[in-house]
Amino acid sequence: MDKLGQEWVSAAVDGEIDEHTLAELVADADSHEQWRDYHMIGDAMRGELSKTVSLDLSASIMAAIDEEPAIVAPKPTTVAKESNSGATGKVIPLFKQFGQYAIAATVAMVAVVGVQNYNQDSLVDNSPLPVLNTRPLIGSASPVSLQTGAVQQSQSYTNDQMADQRRRINAYIQDHMLQQRLNNGVNIDDNSEVDTTPVAQ
Amino acid sequence: MRLILLAIIAMSFPAMAREDMPAKAWLENMSQALREQEFKISLIQLQADHIRPLVYIHGKVNDEEVAFLEHLNGPPKNAVRVGNTVTFIEHDQPAYSVHSNRIQGVIPAAFADDISKLETGYQFVLGGRSRIAGRPGQLVRIIPTDDNRYGYQVWLDMDTYLPLRFDMISGDKQLLEQLLVVELLVLDEVPAILKEAYKQEWPPVLSQSDREGGEDWQFSWLPAGFKVLIKDQHRLIGSKEAVEYIAISDGLANISVYVAKAGEAPLPEELVTRNGLSLATERVGNAEVVAVGKVPAETLSRIAKSIMLQ
Repeated sequence: MDKLGQEWVSAAVDGEIDEHTLAELVADADSHEQWRDYHMIGDAMRGELSKTVSLDLSASIMAAIDEEPAIVAPKPTTVAKESNSGATGKVIPLFKQFGQYAIAATVAMVAVVGVQNYNQDSLVDNSPLPVLNTRPLIGSASPVSLQTGAVQQSQSYTNDQMADQRRRINAYIQDHMLQQRLNNGVNIDDNSEVDTTPVAQ
Repeated sequence: MRLILLAIIAMSFPAMAREDMPAKAWLENMSQALREQEFKISLIQLQADHIRPLVYIHGKVNDEEVAFLEHLNGPPKNAVRVGNTVTFIEHDQPAYSVHSNRIQGVIPAAFADDISKLETGYQFVLGGRSRIAGRPGQLVRIIPTDDNRYGYQVWLDMDTYLPLRFDMISGDKQLLEQLLVVELLVLDEVPAILKEAYKQEWPPVLSQSDREGGEDWQFSWLPAGFKVLIKDQHRLIGSKEAVEYIAISDGLANISVYVAKAGEAPLPEELVTRNGLSLATERVGNAEVVAVGKVPAETLSRIAKSIMLQ
């Protein structure tokens, strides 16, 4: 149908059809454009194309190119690089900075999420039983009578030595606890004679 | 358009004041609240496999701070503070008073003190919000600047700035100790018990004048922010053994260093209890250096190794 239609139009352009067919063609709005195109082609072949028409064409071509997406995009940057390296020098660090911000933000997000996850975990751990999730035990457990949880020893000694050791650990820890009460009235600022700058390891 | 935006920003400013408050300002408000407000908090202290319910009441009588701490379970164990005197009333020994401006052992004394003192060892970072004891709480992380000490996080009540929860966390993010407020009551007037405590005659303050005579011990290394508080010679409370004693602190973490004659059985080089209290021993000839404190055992080891006589 289409092919046939084209032939009609072509024939009509050349004035080789009867009036009846021409009337039919006039009624067929779809073919009007083809009619115009064929006339234009004919004019162009005969070198009779007017200037306004050619301008109109180039404008529509330009419009078509402008509307053409994506593929054209990289071209301007390469052109810019070749033509003006100074401008690109400014553009690239800017983009790098944005990249770094993005990375920093991502790291922060991960850190926050990680810690929050941890918190949730510990809450879940603690909610059914109030037992804290703490360091694993090493060796045999020997509880200190003070309320400080189990104490571990890595070596085994005789019972006497064990008892002595335990007693002395207790004594130190108890004394430390007592000192916390006694020392609290001491003002830190009054006793800063020690140089606390770390010595290089 | 820009004008509208500006108007919106200007209108929302009062509401954003609290949002914009830096972490340190939150802690400073907490410090002020702990010193000035009148309140009663019921809290539980979680340490390894121990849970202790406590009540802490704080107020002001005749412009002096009065506080009362009571352990609710087990044998009676209370502490009363009037001004700068703290009296411990415990079942196993006669009551005694010490010179102190906080009741030690529950809420860290540093929290009611100048927060700037902690800045060498810790950074303050605002965290999220959550509901604790039925109140909205703002999390403030107290992050150690190195791995020589533990980190802390504290949730502050958004109305009163009083602490609602306090966690001590090891370097590998294990929870070592937790204080959890279950009820916070802001009081309108001083409770009767504090008025009573203020009138009461307490035992005289233990004489601290004998805390002298310590050798001139020095440390070739201490973690940043740690300072020597006190040096003396005394006998250990339990074993009556004579020791040279040095107390060091960075404000939050307190370390005791002892130099004593070595015992028959060597003490373990490093020992960690499950609530974060560690002990490290360094043997020097027939003497031993013992460091105890709530910091990683590695830190204690290093401190014990770096002690020297001037």
